[in-house]
Amino acid sequence: MPAVEIADPAFGAGLESWLWAGGLVILAVASITGVVESHGGRAPRLSVALSALACAAILALGVLLLAGGSPLSAQAGSVISFAPVDVHYDALAGVFVIMLGIVGFAASVAAWDGVHHAPFNAITGAAYPVFLGSMLLVFGAANAFAFLLAWELMALSSAALVVGAKPVHEQVAAGYLYLAVTHLATAALVVAFAVLATASGGSLAFADWSAGAATLPPFGRDGVFALLVLGFGTKAGVFPFHVWLPRAHPAAPSHVSAVMSGVMIKTGIFGLIRVGLGVLGPGPDAWGLLLLALGAVSAVLGILYALMEHDLKRLLALSSIDNIGIVLLGLGSALLLAGHGLATAAGLALAAALLHGLNHGVFKALLFLGAGAVQAAAGTRNLNRLGGLARTMPLTALLFGVGAAAIAGLPPLNGFASEWLTFHALIGTGASADLPPVVRSGALVAVGALALTVALAVACFVKATGATFLALPRSADADAAHEAEPAERAAMAFLAVLCVALGVAAAPVAARLTEIAGRFLGSLPVANAADPLAAVTGGPLAAGTVAPAALGAAALLGALVGMVAMRRGRRRELVRATPTWTCGVLPEPAMEYTATSYSKLLRLFFRRVLLPAREVHVEYHPGTSIPSTMHYTGGVTHVLEQHVFGPLHALSVRGSSTVRRLQNGSVQVYLAYALIGLVILLAVGR
Amino acid sequence: MAVSLLASVVLIVLQAVVLVALAPLLSGTIRRTKARLQSRRGASIWQPYRDLRKWWSKETVQSATASPIQGVAPAVVLAVTLCALFLVPTVAAAAPLPGWGDLIAVVGLLAAARFMVALAALDSGSAFGGMGSSRDVSIAALIEPALVLALIVAAVSVGSTDLGAIAASGAASGLGLLTPAHAVAAVAFAIVVVAESGHHPVDNPDTHLELTMVHEGMLLEASGRRLALYMVAAHLRQALMLALFLAVFVPWGIAAEIAPVPLALGVVFFVAKLLLAGQGLALADALVPKLRILRLPEFLGVAAALALVALAARVWLPA
Repeated sequence: MPAVEIADPAFGAGLESWLWAGGLVILAVASITGVVESHGGRAPRLSVALSALACAAILALGVLLLAGGSPLSAQAGSVISFAPVDVHYDALAGVFVIMLGIVGFAASVAAWDGVHHAPFNAITGAAYPVFLGSMLLVFGAANAFAFLLAWELMALSSAALVVGAKPVHEQVAAGYLYLAVTHLATAALVVAFAVLATASGGSLAFADWSAGAATLPPFGRDGVFALLVLGFGTKAGVFPFHVWLPRAHPAAPSHVSAVMSGVMIKTGIFGLIRVGLGVLGPGPDAWGLLLLALGAVSAVLGILYALMEHDLKRLLALSSIDNIGIVLLGLGSALLLAGHGLATAAGLALAAALLHGLNHGVFKALLFLGAGAVQAAAGTRNLNRLGGLARTMPLTALLFGVGAAAIAGLPPLNGFASEWLTFHALIGTGASADLPPVVRSGALVAVGALALTVALAVACFVKATGATFLALPRSADADAAHEAEPAERAAMAFLAVLCVALGVAAAPVAARLTEIAGRFLGSLPVANAADPLAAVTGGPLAAGTVAPAALGAAALLGALVGMVAMRRGRRRELVRATPTWTCGVLPEPAMEYTATSYSKLLRLFFRRVLLPAREVHVEYHPGTSIPSTMHYTGGVTHVLEQHVFGPLHALSVRGSSTVRRLQNGSVQVYLAYALIGLVILLAVGR
Repeated sequence: MAVSLLASVVLIVLQAVVLVALAPLLSGTIRRTKARLQSRRGASIWQPYRDLRKWWSKETVQSATASPIQGVAPAVVLAVTLCALFLVPTVAAAAPLPGWGDLIAVVGLLAAARFMVALAALDSGSAFGGMGSSRDVSIAALIEPALVLALIVAAVSVGSTDLGAIAASGAASGLGLLTPAHAVAAVAFAIVVVAESGHHPVDNPDTHLELTMVHEGMLLEASGRRLALYMVAAHLRQALMLALFLAVFVPWGIAAEIAPVPLALGVVFFVAKLLLAGQGLALADALVPKLRILRLPEFLGVAAALALVALAARVWLPA
């Protein structure tokens, strides 16, 4: 963590600066505490408590930024004289700072009890607060140096957390893959930044880049945009750059997975908005269409692969790819609409992307914390060995259910609100007569992809919730599970309340985001901004309204009336409990639908994409046709991983080992290299 | 159409009468027609009401391993379906709850109902419940793209996703509504109605044969008052899908203003159209064999493809 040195005279005036500096200082202390406390492998409780406190400050900072407080600027210590670490937080950054505050706070609170589930050592104890702080800096970085510094700090600290304190092979492999992929992405960013800085006369400040980018030839701008999409898209886990994500996220402890899936992948989205959109501008239609295509493919394939998964945390990680795809759909429409001067509609589309990013942070963190509680209680996160946990951990079941309903996009929860806005962004793009037919068709096809994604998400999260919490336990460990620890429950309840609150109160939040997005896009505040869910009538967006609070209240009232009517009425309801009817034998867990059997139909429906493979091995009692044992293995083929990235990885390993022969450790050989180098230099520089 | 509070109350009462109260009768007439087409006499058209009364007075048998969701889900499913129902304009070109939700909200509420039924079906640990639940959510994933795409053909033409505005605009344009895009989208949506309300060739509402049932499989463990609520919700969902079809694709005759005479005409037109459209479902049940479940992607893919064709026509052809 760089030393905080206050240089900007404007800094230090408002409450914002105190919160910001305080948050960073507390995180620095927490990091040191983490080293000291976890020395003997004990839980660094003071450290996570300090992290929670810092995140509360960060949350307050984000709320102030969003609510229209003055933007925050500071120069935090010049590490090198020509490259000061400038930060500048505006309302747009505030959205992401809030996300970090909420998720970081809940994750840190859950870690109070959760730390004993995952062994800590000095490195992971120190890395967690650094990870949180580096993301705060990423969201505020005002120049390329500060950005890349914070970006790298974030990559390294999260990699340390993925590998963990007592790594097994799987974690080391996940950490290695994550580091390799994230550095390839950073390389793309460095090239893009270098081009932009060169075009801007060597300035590293983002603020100077817009003018410089305008001087680039069209193919240069296209190239820079492609590099940004590659670099930021990889961090965001966009298909096809997502390979690292389903391995790295589940390998980390659950509270870290919550922060990685909830916040860290959004730094990619933040970069696309801040640098892609903010510096390069909306650009030609092809850019927006590219984002729509990447978004649609990520959304559909992300949720399909999630559905096929029976590891609860991998399922959640894969569904993050789906949600990032939905965010990209909003971002893509914003690009398309802004490119044709439809600023009002573009603001609404960008607000949809921002709101879905925020909402995804909330419900995905809730689900990851729930998965962590389940793993701690039942000793496994294999859905086919769970089941029946609603009896032993009823509150966790309820809170996980709220998160599942939110991520499935059900009204009146927050996932519905942002998906509704995204639908409107796409339909609005498709309905705008001012746009070329290609763009309109693209947006309307994306509507179909989004509808498919939402329906598949319902299937996926019915499966995840049902297989974990309902029916009979499928293993002895699941049978012996216990309720989550108090701090974990409190953290999950906090997030579940936010899922409901951000759903029923979506209108004011979306209004503020639309205003911020509109200002960001350089337009006037949106007309009718008081209620953007009552979208712009007569404008290019398809008008329509939704009142999640009213619908939610009506549904709740109706359900209560229905339940009272069932219980009371003229004659009371008689309820008799008997074993489930299973055709005359006693019910057993083996008769239940498992997570794998639940998704079988979709595996077959989408077999051309998923390429399912299965192998059944039967052994018979000697001399009879009565089976004695049966072994079943099955799964789907991740085509891209197995046929593209796998061979590429093998090639790079082979190439590395070839190159390594140059380094054989013999002093004579190194002297020979030095001599050859000298001769070449003399020959060339003569 | 601006709707005052009084008008809203009138519309709610009318909707409750023509759609909520008539929904079981609609199912009764469909079953009756189907029986006649199969050369059976069939049960009375009032049979669904008798069934509901019967279930209401029976005791509830629940699985010994059930969780609280068993008791909660039926009421939630019914309440959510009712919410969706009151967002659809029927007799007048305004939904009884104007501004509470557009067509995306209707789709979302139907998904919420499905989520609860499918989850509760997993609770008892019966293989049939899991099978029905798995099938229902899988088939829904094939239905939903076609459902949304067919509806937004109309939304794109009208420039609004508000169902009242769509119905009003459609009724006002008279026969001018019958563009190629509209006709193709109507066919796509008809397929969606058949699938979503559980008729041949997708599901059979009257079957309890374990190998074929979808929706009934999920309700196999429900009994007593809970079954009654689930079945009311199922009747309502079928009526809702037909009402949605009528409002968007066959809006003629819908009352353009909230006044006694147009409303009375609207009621007559709506009930006639609803019962007639219901006979279409009976025809599908009687004449079309049920498809193998693995053939459903092709059948429902046709609906999605038709909806995309309609959208392409809307975007590329001059209006």
